[in-house]
Amino acid sequence: MRSQLNDADACAVDQAWRIAVRRTGAQVTAVTMGPAGAAAALRKSLVLGADEGVHILDDALAGCDALGTARVLAAAVRRLGFDLVLCGAAATGSATAVVPAMVAEILGVPVLCFADGLKLTGDGVEIRRDDGAGVQTWAATLPAVVSVTPRCGTPRYPRFAAVAQARHKLVRTWPLSRLGIRRSEVGLAAAVTRVRAVTPVEDRGRVVIDCDAPTAAARLADFLAQRELL
Amino acid sequence: MIVRMVLGLLMTAVAFALAGRRVMTLYRLGRSGQPVEPDRLRDVPKRAWAVVTEVLGQSKLLKWSVPGIAHFAVFWGFIILGATIVEGYGALFVRDFGLPLIGDHAWLGFLEDLFIVAVLSGLVVFAILRLRQDPQREGRRSRFFGSHLGAAWLVLFMIFNVMWTLLLYRSAQINTGNFPFPRGAFASEAVALALAPAGRTANDVLEHVGILGSLGAVLAFLVILVYSKHLHIALAPFNVAFSRRPRGLGALLPVHSGGKPVDFEDPGEDDKIGRGVIEDFTWKGMLDFATCTECGRCQSQCPAWHTEKPLNPKLLIMSLRDHALAKAPYLLAGSDEERAKLPKDVLAEAERPLVGAVEAGGVIDPDVLWSCVTCGACVEQCPVDIEHVDHIVDMRRYQVLIESSFPSEAGAMLRNLERAGDPWGRGAKARLEWMAGLPFEVPVLNGEPIPGDVEYLLWVGCAGALDDRAKKTTRAVAELLHTAGVSFMVLGSQERCTGDPARRIGQELLFQELGKQNVETLNAAGARRIVVTCAHCFNAIRNEYPQLGGVYEVVHHTQLLSKLVAEGKLVPTHPVEETVTYHDPCYLGRHNRVFSPPREILGSVPGLRFNEMPRNSETSFCCGAGGARMWMEESIGTRINETRTDEALATGAEVVTAACPYCIVMLTDGVATRKQQGKAGEDVRVTDVSQMLLQSVRGPGDGDGSA
Amino acid sequence: METVLVLAERHGAGGGVCRPTHALLTLARRLGTPAAVLCGPADTASIEALGRFGAQAIWTVEASEVDDYPATARVEALVRLADQICPSCILVASGRGGEEIAARVAARLDSGVLTGAVDMWMGPDGPVVVQRVLDGSYLVESSVVRGITICTVFTEAVSPQPSAAEPAVRSLDLAFPQGMQAARLVSREPRGRPDPTAAAVVVAGGRGLGSRDGFELVERIAGALGGAACGSHTAAELGWCPRHQTVDQIGKAVHPLLYLALGVSGSVRHRAGMHGAQTVVAIDRDPEAPIFGVADLGVVGDVHEVAKELLTEIRRRRHGERLEWEA
Repeated sequence: MRSQLNDADACAVDQAWRIAVRRTGAQVTAVTMGPAGAAAALRKSLVLGADEGVHILDDALAGCDALGTARVLAAAVRRLGFDLVLCGAAATGSATAVVPAMVAEILGVPVLCFADGLKLTGDGVEIRRDDGAGVQTWAATLPAVVSVTPRCGTPRYPRFAAVAQARHKLVRTWPLSRLGIRRSEVGLAAAVTRVRAVTPVEDRGRVVIDCDAPTAAARLADFLAQRELL
Repeated sequence: MIVRMVLGLLMTAVAFALAGRRVMTLYRLGRSGQPVEPDRLRDVPKRAWAVVTEVLGQSKLLKWSVPGIAHFAVFWGFIILGATIVEGYGALFVRDFGLPLIGDHAWLGFLEDLFIVAVLSGLVVFAILRLRQDPQREGRRSRFFGSHLGAAWLVLFMIFNVMWTLLLYRSAQINTGNFPFPRGAFASEAVALALAPAGRTANDVLEHVGILGSLGAVLAFLVILVYSKHLHIALAPFNVAFSRRPRGLGALLPVHSGGKPVDFEDPGEDDKIGRGVIEDFTWKGMLDFATCTECGRCQSQCPAWHTEKPLNPKLLIMSLRDHALAKAPYLLAGSDEERAKLPKDVLAEAERPLVGAVEAGGVIDPDVLWSCVTCGACVEQCPVDIEHVDHIVDMRRYQVLIESSFPSEAGAMLRNLERAGDPWGRGAKARLEWMAGLPFEVPVLNGEPIPGDVEYLLWVGCAGALDDRAKKTTRAVAELLHTAGVSFMVLGSQERCTGDPARRIGQELLFQELGKQNVETLNAAGARRIVVTCAHCFNAIRNEYPQLGGVYEVVHHTQLLSKLVAEGKLVPTHPVEETVTYHDPCYLGRHNRVFSPPREILGSVPGLRFNEMPRNSETSFCCGAGGARMWMEESIGTRINETRTDEALATGAEVVTAACPYCIVMLTDGVATRKQQGKAGEDVRVTDVSQMLLQSVRGPGDGDGSA
Repeated sequence: METVLVLAERHGAGGGVCRPTHALLTLARRLGTPAAVLCGPADTASIEALGRFGAQAIWTVEASEVDDYPATARVEALVRLADQICPSCILVASGRGGEEIAARVAARLDSGVLTGAVDMWMGPDGPVVVQRVLDGSYLVESSVVRGITICTVFTEAVSPQPSAAEPAVRSLDLAFPQGMQAARLVSREPRGRPDPTAAAVVVAGGRGLGSRDGFELVERIAGALGGAACGSHTAAELGWCPRHQTVDQIGKAVHPLLYLALGVSGSVRHRAGMHGAQTVVAIDRDPEAPIFGVADLGVVGDVHEVAKELLTEIRRRRHGERLEWEA
């Protein structure tokens, strides 16, 4: 199973490249934690502009929960050294949406989540984020972690030269031992959350209302308000 | 005699020197291109036969009757009258020289005179054609729009000169008694009668003047020839010999650099991908440009040109030719110092980007490059086998892969292909949706090889699985096969896009990836016979997958259904009292020569009245979706699909049929627009040919009979 | 009984406590003794509302950091309280702010976090959380095995039930540790009309709107929501919207948080342009329209009528009520 680089992650790599391309000596490292198939997503990051990749690969990591994942990624990032960590922001409510904030907390640096726009300022980084009725601007000093939405810029279509060069870029594979994390601290056995039961849903939560206009409108507005869209 | 011999030989020497120098330059210019693909040097018998039929037989020219016959006459005139040139040179030394053995045979004299008359008649026809198609008056509609008219008239004038000086010389020869043919040369004899009263001395003079004039005209013509498009008379046989066989249609060739295919997994450092500068073209490409006669037959068929877009295949080739000639001193210079000493305009020419806007000095404007639908009408028409489509795609390859410069809206299609394996990004799982609600089970392969008793693998394709209209075609075909008792299976979610849109837009790397994946799947499944419902899938799997190691017996659904009707396994019993017309999809018809099966199917449906569109079969007018243009915006000029829709509606058809999902989408949109404008009846519909057959086989009822 | 901490949210900076908080308290009551954390001014109305839904204790945080460093302030408050009162659960409403807070608290407390809960109950070994995963196709029951159960809740799935209580109100002192760097909320502006590809809200109109005049509804609703107005390919073909404002395979590809489709049938080429949308809402007359296959919420009915009512409703709600970090 070859993994794909999702839209948000692609935007994150692209933003990183845009920052690095304007600064001499800036380096972009793409980090992923996952089974062997995750290397494909890493290669795609290299095509989109990352200079090198790190693949954390260890079978002890199977079944890792969000906190475990965050610990591993934080350890890797700390080992690499960083000024800025960029992540793709997963949709709210999904299991991995919490990882960027956790990584930041473990590293003890500020986090700026769900950035729709990003720019570096004199002393740090500033992001733009939509909150339902307006646009918030948040700022933090570096080092920091920023998670980026698919609305944050459009990654350019890579040239063949980028594809060819990416094949020669270095991808390091790190087992857990390289990060100083013990097997007992991660993986399914060490997970803080456990799944007890799984039931398929008949009607997949796709609600279709068929009633009079004012009622429908009220339900629509409720729906939007709940999701901070109104 | 001495005088005329000396003069004659002197003229010859000068002419040959001038012409020779030019030929040398052109030859070296051609060689500055890349080496050709190996296949062009193989299969000599087929190539020789092509030269026989297309050059000697003038087969492509004769497709247009009047200009074709005229050209046939002039072409054969040049061949036969070569004898008179030999006779002329001989006469410089021996006054009444005749060819050995046959030099005084009446039939030879007759033949020569016959062709003098034929050529002169041909010239009259050509002149009339040029006057009637005068671009000054007709504008873009004239196929001579953009051609060098002055040069063309000069050529006609020179041919005329060659003819009348020859006639003058021969008739004077008759009157001076030096004519080698006692009988047969009727035209010369007639002119001789007219000249006879002038007396012996006068005719003597006329004879000397005539021979020098005649040879002089030929030599002058020779020099003019090598500086004009008329060089085609020397180049065309070579161009035809080295062209793709059977024709430059169907498959596109893989990317080659230095005469070898480029391995995208491990490309060489100096590998040239596509065409970024004029010298990136192979010498065959250079030969193509040089052979162009500016006849405009390609332009007269181009759907882009017909809809006010800037793309004109003839002007494209001419631009490339002119650019190559202008850049020649730069390309042929031996060193940097030599280059630095070249005149400014040559250096400026060398700086021009091959593809770029007019303001940037580009040779080919991007709008020209991206307007092409790769329908191949130009290649079909070209009498000298120029491969316009190949050159356009090669330039696209450079733009996409090296510059990453292409219409941005197509990026969505490319990203979706990479991500999800289909142009809309729906993903593999969605490929099973079309089967919902079918009254029978469609067996889906899942990792196992195809059982031996299954006759066909039905390749559904992306449109057939994911586009709402095309799904109806797939269901109709599945039902017809089921009814006919033909056992088939589908690959289901293992299918990926064949890669056709990626290849046509120039993203060869993506095409190779998708193609190799599909070939692996097909080979693992042990597929032998594949039936497809999409003309583009048909072309890709049948003609292009062999390049990737996938060789299968591929039939289009119309071919299979037609066969089943002929075998009596499908019986269209219920009459369908409607008027239909059929649109030949470019990738089924012109590219792959499948014209009759869809018509046979329509013919088998009782009650159906069939009206052919004026532009059908080989000259079918594209729907506008090819060349990956389905995935691009059409913002210049008028709509290709609307133009074709109007042609279909003009036949009075109530049902417009086609045999490709791209065509059906484009024609449906066209009909919808015309309905909205009140220019089409409310009950006009667009369907696939198979749906008409299904309607007749199954009978009336809730059908998937309408789009 | 164990304490369950609830992070209270309010409408706007000084507004009253809002529905998501009522829902959280309702859930909290099932799991233990609810205690609420209220950031910002401790006004009577909010305290009363919290009490109405069962909060037994209310901790108020009135430091200035609450407005300047909203996320970090709440994280610190929750962590401080967690150390102090050792709750069994911490509940936060799901949303961009909520996910971040819950994540950071979980990391600090080395506890499990479960996101997007639609239901919770008390099991034999502790709280059981029900989540909807994989685009709503599965319901997963999970529990936290170590530390505090930290949960973000899809409060719209929970009906608030009042249960009056007399809360004890205490104030919590909050001071950031020395040298701590945190993300600062610099400013907040109302949305201008964004570019569709960068917009968080996209409103699109299709053939179902009937006419160019009908299409104006799209622009009005987009204006009301501060989103981008677009059309389907058909709408552009009919001349109702400019070609560069279409959501389509060959038009714009959008990734909004909300995609509102009015009278759009949802052909495959249209879906190719909007499949990046997080939440899809569709209104159309035809119940068989393909758009309903991808909509999270669909309304079958007359597009004009429903859309007009929606516009009224949006304007009505916009006129006062805001969530907490909206200034």
